[in-house]
Amino acid sequence: MRKTTQFRRLIDAPDILRMPGVHDALSARVAAEAGFQAITMGGFAATGSLLGEPDSSQLSLTELADHYARICDAVDVPVFADGDTGFGNVTNVRRTVRLLERAGVGGLFIEDQMFPKRCGHTPGKAVVPVEEMVGKVKAAVDARTDPDLVIMARTDAIAVNGLDDAIERANLYREAGADLLFVEAPPDVEAMRRILREAPGPHLANMVEFGMSPELTGGELQDIGYATVVWPVSSVLAVVKALRGLYGQLRNEDTTRNAHDRMVSFEEYTTLVGLPGLRAREQSYLDAARRLVGDRQAPKKESAA
Amino acid sequence: MSTPARRRLRALLDRPGPFAAPGVCDGLTARCALEAGAECLYMTGFGVAGSLLGQPDLGLVTVTEMADRVRALAAVAGDVPLIADGDNGHGGPLNAMRLTRLYEQAGAACVHIEDQAFPKRCGHMESKVTVPLEDALANLRAVLRARTDPDFLVMARTDTRATVDLDEALRRGDAFLEAGADILFIEAPRSEDEMRVIAERFRGVPLLANMVEAGKTPYLDVATLGEMGFKVVIFPISGVLVGLYHMRRAYARLLQEGRLPEDEPHLTFADYNALIGLPQALESAEACGGPAGPATSASRTPRAR
Repeated sequence: MRKTTQFRRLIDAPDILRMPGVHDALSARVAAEAGFQAITMGGFAATGSLLGEPDSSQLSLTELADHYARICDAVDVPVFADGDTGFGNVTNVRRTVRLLERAGVGGLFIEDQMFPKRCGHTPGKAVVPVEEMVGKVKAAVDARTDPDLVIMARTDAIAVNGLDDAIERANLYREAGADLLFVEAPPDVEAMRRILREAPGPHLANMVEFGMSPELTGGELQDIGYATVVWPVSSVLAVVKALRGLYGQLRNEDTTRNAHDRMVSFEEYTTLVGLPGLRAREQSYLDAARRLVGDRQAPKKESAA
Repeated sequence: MSTPARRRLRALLDRPGPFAAPGVCDGLTARCALEAGAECLYMTGFGVAGSLLGQPDLGLVTVTEMADRVRALAAVAGDVPLIADGDNGHGGPLNAMRLTRLYEQAGAACVHIEDQAFPKRCGHMESKVTVPLEDALANLRAVLRARTDPDFLVMARTDTRATVDLDEALRRGDAFLEAGADILFIEAPRSEDEMRVIAERFRGVPLLANMVEAGKTPYLDVATLGEMGFKVVIFPISGVLVGLYHMRRAYARLLQEGRLPEDEPHLTFADYNALIGLPQALESAEACGGPAGPATSASRTPRAR
């Protein structure tokens, strides 16, 4: 089954789809190993991982698409991609969708922030006029060649224009063809319920640690009515903490020999990245090649003798 | 951190009289221009969009794709300086800073940055949109701040002659110079009178003239432009327009007649190898002690038994 079809079915299924955030191929493998049915990577995590920079539209479309392609190759589960603001106007949006689709993502989203954007849970956001975003959503939907590619529209309008405007935008984006909706940073559960009531359709909940929305469980969000939930910044926050601990200990003790409890074993690591399977596959090719060559040469030897 | 190419560009600017910088967009065009004796090369975004993507100059090429092109062109150009099209910085000040770092690392001798809104379009097209002066200055200041080599020159371009009028373009030229731009590029003046006004207003400042065949600006030769007061004369698309004229015909005749007709003028294989530097490349490899081929003897064609 195509990843896009898989992803669409997961969104449509009655259970809420839980998607942990990753930031590279390695973290993607860990998330898939933990049993999640789909994963996501947002611009916040990608920009941190690739550039060590804040979430500010710094990554180009092509480097983002390359990064997603590698992650999609590393795992079997669908990957949900962050298309930022679409990287320009409707013409750029078309390129964005095409490149991300080709990278192998199960779905992607674009948002109505002005370019260059900033993280949705930080102050100082601005949104584009609603017509502009409606045009971009239509362009995104038209650009896909795989009809199962899920296109989500995100609005950051709550912080800029208030909840009424955000709900109005969500409805317009749905009408423009968005499969999934994301109203960013609702301040409380009451706002969440209102959004889901007044903007019919499947919605995504964004769980950001230390962010502007209450941190609820997948189960609680399912009860409210969300179709899917993401935790997009968890992996980079966790990794930074873990690495600080490690590097700090290394600085203090001048060795990592007492830090093994912070780590997986070498064997656990190589298993995670698929070394046993890779070696087995290599060996099977060598064996098959040997057999094939042996079979062809054997009759000749018999006739010579 | 300075490079021979950057020092050469300074020397060209200090030398009395104008100089030409033919437009190039890939390794092949660069090789042709260098072979013809160009003292300076110009990387045209218009050409790159066509060469890399087969697309119009509408802001589709990403900053990392542009920087990769700069890197490839600068490597071919060696000590010949490359002036590179930085569009509008590809976003806000942070994006402009990133672009500057990428272009400087990639080996450009100079970058130009313009006051069009993102996504930009070719300066000789209709319906350009320019940003307010404060935003343009913010990006220019970002570029100046981000460079680490003072010999990496910054050229400021304004497209406001088209979107406002010549007075606004001159006003912006003053502001850009005050901010610290090394070279000025007033895009698309419509008449020789306008060109004389520009040259007079900025006498003593290095000025660029942009010669586009059938563009908005009168098409003059380097000597005439030099007399007017211009220093750097770019011909962004001349090579590409001539090359494509012949290439289209070659493909059409090839498909029509089932082979390239003998009377179609073309380089010989030997001409091409000389242009592309094959003898020097092979010589370099031999000088290191091995042929320019696979390293292991097992993979070489075995001698006849």
